[in-house]
Amino acid sequence: MFSYIGRRASHSILSVIGLLTLVFFLTRLTGDPSALYLPLDATAEARAAFARLNGLDQPLHWQFAEYLKDLLQLDFGQSLRQNRSAMEVALEAFPETLKLAFIAITLSTALAILVGSLAAARPGSLFDRLASLASLAGASAPDFWVAIVAILVFAVGFEILPTSGTGSWAHWVMPIFVLTLRPFGLLVQVVRGTMLSALTSPYIKTARAKGLRRQKIIFGHALRNSLLPVVTVAGDLATSLVNGAVVVESIFGWPGIGKLMIDAIIQRDFAVVQSTILVTATAIFILNIAIDLLYAVLDPRIRY
Amino acid sequence: MHRTSNHALASAMLMAALAPSAMAQGAAQEIRIVLPEQPANLEPCGTIITNVGQILSQNVVEPLTVIDPETGQPQSKLATEWTQVDPTTWRLKLRDGVKFQDGADFNAAAVVFSVNRMVGGKITCSNIAKFGDAKLTVTAVDDLTVEIKSDKPQPILPTLLSVVMIVSPKTAANQAVNDPVGTGPFKLSTFSPQTVVLDAFDGYWGKKPEITKATYVWRPESSIRAAMVETGEADLTPSIAIQDASNPETDFAYLNSETTAIRIDTAQPPLNDLRVRKALNLAIDWEGLAQLFGDDIKRASQMVVPGINGHDDALEAWSYDPEEAKKLIEEAAADGVPVDTEIKLIGRNGIYPNGAEAMEAMMTMWQAVGLNVKLTMLDVADWLRYLQKPFPAERGANLLQMMHDNNKGDAAFTIPIFYRTSGNYSTLADPAFDKEIDAALATTGEARTTAFKTIFAKARKEVVADIPMFHMIGYTRVGPRLDWKPDITTNSEIPLANIAIND
Repeated sequence: MFSYIGRRASHSILSVIGLLTLVFFLTRLTGDPSALYLPLDATAEARAAFARLNGLDQPLHWQFAEYLKDLLQLDFGQSLRQNRSAMEVALEAFPETLKLAFIAITLSTALAILVGSLAAARPGSLFDRLASLASLAGASAPDFWVAIVAILVFAVGFEILPTSGTGSWAHWVMPIFVLTLRPFGLLVQVVRGTMLSALTSPYIKTARAKGLRRQKIIFGHALRNSLLPVVTVAGDLATSLVNGAVVVESIFGWPGIGKLMIDAIIQRDFAVVQSTILVTATAIFILNIAIDLLYAVLDPRIRY
Repeated sequence: MHRTSNHALASAMLMAALAPSAMAQGAAQEIRIVLPEQPANLEPCGTIITNVGQILSQNVVEPLTVIDPETGQPQSKLATEWTQVDPTTWRLKLRDGVKFQDGADFNAAAVVFSVNRMVGGKITCSNIAKFGDAKLTVTAVDDLTVEIKSDKPQPILPTLLSVVMIVSPKTAANQAVNDPVGTGPFKLSTFSPQTVVLDAFDGYWGKKPEITKATYVWRPESSIRAAMVETGEADLTPSIAIQDASNPETDFAYLNSETTAIRIDTAQPPLNDLRVRKALNLAIDWEGLAQLFGDDIKRASQMVVPGINGHDDALEAWSYDPEEAKKLIEEAAADGVPVDTEIKLIGRNGIYPNGAEAMEAMMTMWQAVGLNVKLTMLDVADWLRYLQKPFPAERGANLLQMMHDNNKGDAAFTIPIFYRTSGNYSTLADPAFDKEIDAALATTGEARTTAFKTIFAKARKEVVADIPMFHMIGYTRVGPRLDWKPDITTNSEIPLANIAIND
């Protein structure tokens, strides 16, 4: 297993290097930052001075060589916007996103497993229909709409939750609710589908014939065998959440990495774009390795 | 009965538990302001950037002069009086008894330090852009007197000094900072990715503000910001969308110093023909177009708003006359002007609310009078290529959507950029007009006002290098706790000292 992790890690490092190279050149294709950092009426001299000050007047290959050199010394550059280390900015924002993503994916997976399994146990029942309706609604409702409606209802209407921001546990309620909704909707569908197929398998019939309790059959036997596709989909959803929940972060004023990355791209804050991508890419590679290991835990036939 | 009381008690406890700390207003003299954007940094040399200026300007750092929003004239701040020694030199007397928040003395040496830091080229200084390409040198005459010299005449130097923020001499000279120290009534306590907190500075030289603490947070969504003030989570938010300004008791409309317009590329046929340029102005149903921007919008006839020195109230805006527009285009066509040429209308995504819809409508109106106008919407970086010189060589005939902000009291921040041959946005090449502009810029007082008015009249009637659209309206929501109204300067500063708390 350790050799597998080592192999995956070395592949991941190569991928990260490739990604950073690509990002470096792609960000430079977006244009000259001085157009955005200086006022519209700044003189050509001022723009040239800005480029000189930030090393943007040098040839691209020279800038890339400098970037690599700094990278080897763990210097990830300065944020043009924030006048401080780009990596510091990225690492400040990432835990905020990670906390949200972790809670949202854990909650949505747990709820989806429960609801999906119970729905599959009695297909066509009222509970199954309601679960399907709720999951479809959850999977289809746009984040920004749900977020704004939730604010209007719970913050403005009932005044029981804050509109946005961070600080108390109440600030977590709406962002987590909004972030949980879509993964929950998708995962309920996946769990229900795989459980339906598992519950008609011969080994389940055998278990029933042996007189095992219904709960044991559903959660002990059928569920475990249905979890691989659920882990795959949940892993994919977790990856997109770790990348930053831009809409939720924007609406709720959550200081996460998604909004930071989008702002940095729009503002051509190259060092921050590179740092946020390095941080999220590393997290996603670790997450993927963890998912692979989880497969082995769930299915004894899988060995690395 | 007993059961009901228990329920009520339980509900009250639940509500209390759910009520977040942010919802509770702090002490009576503390306020919370929610801005549309996170300030990227708190460098005092960037106070002309809206979200930096709204926090720092006149709160943490103070300029040498301030502009009176009513008259557009410079008023004393850290400089108490000023005299022009010669056309390129001004002598300033500085306020006595002023201390920086770090205990350093405010004096001539501090002014020399701040100006040199600003012009030295070691930090990115947005504010210096207001001086154009002028080279400034500053010398201390005595402890409370400085002389500022420019390499070219600066008749409005006192006005320009409103963007010179004075920082403590202990500030890093060679790098931008996020912990500014100035002479203002508030000192910076915290700057985090979530908030900026300012606390009252006990050693302030001026009148003690009523507010003791201000916390700034930011939310990009206008509806969320409006809701925050409505629920009492915040006390004030600038720049809410018109559809969110629904409560007449808390929402204030104000002329915000921005003027929208279309720049005509006068160098490109058929736009190099005056008749075509006039037709472009006459073809627009201005009353219909105004409906996109709300009832408070003000039609523009020139590129500066009322209150700016040089604005001419008597100058009439173009009216809607499609028949006259068609006639002018036919006349031009008869004289061989290629009126069929495709004219690119270049819009900018998100430039102002309903900006794209306005471009769609204008394109249709121009097509209706026989012009071949096609709309292209660009993001800011691409759009800037067309706005500023050097213009793209392959640009062809084009009309450019733009918005100009001049809250600095004087049309000198507008006219040369738009109408002088060397102007960064100018498509004109008219030496005679350049001479008039230069002459106007060199004058002072009433003569200056008259000269600027003449230039705007000529730009409107004879040159027609643009299509002024509207003077824009901003909407600010102010919670019932505060006694404060926004004005033309609100887009660049919100002086906390001017905000009172209602009893």
